[in-house]
Amino acid sequence: MTDIESSTPEDPIEAQLDNEISDLQSQSKHPLPFLQTLLTTIVATLKTQRALQAATILSSRASKSILSHLKSRQPAPTQASQRSPEAEDGSPLISLATAQAAHNQENLYRACASITTFRIQDPDPNAVDGGNVLGIRIDVSSSGGKFARPYYVMLNKPWPGQDLLRVHRHTVPPCIPLASLAERHLPSPRIDDDIVKRKIQDLRAFVRALRREVVGYHNRSTVIKALRKTFKLDEDVKLKGRRKGKDRERVIADISAADAEAKQVRIEWVDGRVGRAIIGEKGEVLKCAVFGEDGRDYVNERRILGVHGEGTMDGIGERLLEGIY
Amino acid sequence: MSLLSIPTNAAFSPAQLLPSSHPSVTKTLQRLSRASLLALTLDWLSDQNQESELTTPYLAEPDSEDDEQDPYPAAHSLFELREIYTELQSRKGSKRDVVDRILEGDWRNGITLYQLAMADMQYLYDHPTSQKWTALKLVKSESDVQNHKKAATSVPRFHPATFLRNLQREVLPDIKVHYNLDRYEKLGLTILRVFIVDSPYNTSLALQSTSGRRAMAFDTSRTFYVAFPDAAPYIYISLTTTVSTIPGSSISDNKSLRSLVLDGIPKAFSRPRDRYSLESTNLSARNLEAMVEKRGGARSNAAGGGWGIYAEENKKDTPLNVHLPTPDSLHEHDGEKEQAEKVTGMKRRIEEDVQVVKRRKLVARGRFGNSAKQDDGKGIERFEVMIRDPFPSSAHNSRDDTPLDMPVEETSNGNGTKRKGRRSTFDLELSKQSEDDVEAEGWRPNVRVVFQGKHIFAGVRHLVEEGLLDGERMPGWMTGDEGVSVGLVQSGRIKGFKGSGL
Repeated sequence: MTDIESSTPEDPIEAQLDNEISDLQSQSKHPLPFLQTLLTTIVATLKTQRALQAATILSSRASKSILSHLKSRQPAPTQASQRSPEAEDGSPLISLATAQAAHNQENLYRACASITTFRIQDPDPNAVDGGNVLGIRIDVSSSGGKFARPYYVMLNKPWPGQDLLRVHRHTVPPCIPLASLAERHLPSPRIDDDIVKRKIQDLRAFVRALRREVVGYHNRSTVIKALRKTFKLDEDVKLKGRRKGKDRERVIADISAADAEAKQVRIEWVDGRVGRAIIGEKGEVLKCAVFGEDGRDYVNERRILGVHGEGTMDGIGERLLEGIY
Repeated sequence: MSLLSIPTNAAFSPAQLLPSSHPSVTKTLQRLSRASLLALTLDWLSDQNQESELTTPYLAEPDSEDDEQDPYPAAHSLFELREIYTELQSRKGSKRDVVDRILEGDWRNGITLYQLAMADMQYLYDHPTSQKWTALKLVKSESDVQNHKKAATSVPRFHPATFLRNLQREVLPDIKVHYNLDRYEKLGLTILRVFIVDSPYNTSLALQSTSGRRAMAFDTSRTFYVAFPDAAPYIYISLTTTVSTIPGSSISDNKSLRSLVLDGIPKAFSRPRDRYSLESTNLSARNLEAMVEKRGGARSNAAGGGWGIYAEENKKDTPLNVHLPTPDSLHEHDGEKEQAEKVTGMKRRIEEDVQVVKRRKLVARGRFGNSAKQDDGKGIERFEVMIRDPFPSSAHNSRDDTPLDMPVEETSNGNGTKRKGRRSTFDLELSKQSEDDVEAEGWRPNVRVVFQGKHIFAGVRHLVEEGLLDGERMPGWMTGDEGVSVGLVQSGRIKGFKGSGL
């Protein structure tokens, strides 16, 4: 943003403000901590607002056309003394606009295609393959129209003269079977007596399978969250007490994921019954068992499993509610 | 208490009483600070623990009279006792008094094993670095992996009750064990305390005899901890003396009791057609927080050092962020710090060029990211590497043809400062021509480098920021990238088995 600072008309005012603030800060040896924090927050808010405005202006169609107009005008020979400030600012603005356009496009790909790649330079001077690292970014949208922190997998080429990849670093939690996926789709070559025996690697299949696992994991956790919401398990107890008359009695005491991959759901009833449902890859309920004090509760088991065993995970709540009320 | 002591292979009951005069009981309680001792006592007196009847205090009979001779007259009700200890909390006094009150007054009949375990756990939470932890990975056995065609994670499900039952089955009948599971919410750990006594009896006979060898049963080496991080295929084992013990190997004969229990752990995780074994992960540290970061259930396992920026929380890294990514905030942040330093720092620092200092900080940032900060509390206190590279004069034989020019670090004991040693400066171009006929392998000197200190990688980062180390030429293993504490360096990199990230 430094470029913008030097170009936008309000810049001198802001620079003056900054100077004044720093002057004040340096003059007073014991500045009021409250005032200082207040000022800092105000400045921070204003800065974010300015950045947002700048991004919006830069990505707007109108400013693009103006810039392209400027660009076409720029090469025209002008005398140095007569140069208008706009023309001087033209080139950093244009480069900024291009960068913003690229950034917007990247965001678009990240949001829609969800798998994007980028290059990283390994800072290690002894890194293999000159430090060239291929970064793969998997963006997963979570509930509420937000995106979860992307998952990254960094690949490098440790075998000289070979186009074979290997997972170098990654930020995938251990509940996602990255290692076995890599073993299947990106097998390492066997090296016998310095002769590299090549194996076929399929990066696309690897990334697809990995994304499938990641998205599956996210979807399962989202469904468990939604189930908790259906049975009002996360609600505040105080809040519940206030509108007691309207509320129906609580039947389910707890719903949670029972394992790291969220492939098993544990359901607890208020009366002490405990159920466990196993979820398949497509979100279908594979198996279910509910135990109470007097043996198994087949009625609820059937409800969780659904008719003909075709029940999906996100329907559990609905089917259970049908039985309760 | 049973009158007969019969050899058995059951575990100790948590309600098993230890005589309160036993030196190890006194020792365990006296290790705690006064505040946590009182908190612990109130915990014993809480309804939850009283229900289990494992921490019942000595209460006076309803119609009995106070004994004049008794320095700590017995209380008449739980409520009264709670009052007494709450009042002690607000008053000043010595720890000694509280310990005496507990042992000679309210728990004069003895302390249960459960209470002893609670006291021990309290000490562990108060002093998180009191144990040295070694991370081990639970891996599926080879034959099982081949059978699995589908992708499967290797996070075994940890069900405490089943696990303990299976573990008890693996323990030999001539040792007796007391297990205590505790939840460490702060780090998402379940900690198992294993207390081993070398006796065939699980009654007071095993605990009461104070003569000779048996008294040694309460030595701290007979107590060890196993921590199970949530959703991660790792376990951390506290080993007080031996560092590189691979469980199952017969090297550690004197620690046979412990290795027996260690042997049992992978078996306790296994199920039919689903067998696990333990594998070393080359990481041991005193700091549990660092362990959880490098071998935990989160994202940071395979993204250490500078790669951590991809794993840590970053709200700006989302496709919905329209702002053009700029390194602006970094500069500002560093600038502030610098100014602060200038005011307080030494005289010589001011003479240094601001640009150079700034550049060094940026380099350090590039290499370490946001990791290895002095105050992040994730320090590893010992880092050891063995360098198996050919001597620099024949470095051109190394696989990737990069000249190896590695700084040799020496540690000086004391306050963790490191001196920089000699840097080998060989004219590689010249030596290349003259030594073409040297054997391909070259001479590989045996070089071991040990770093010791409170927070090693923060120290290295500091050296880079101060310009004592060249941040750009420093090898990657000095940034803690790999997340190991012991490693073998080859071609300037820590040798990984199959893909360092896996």
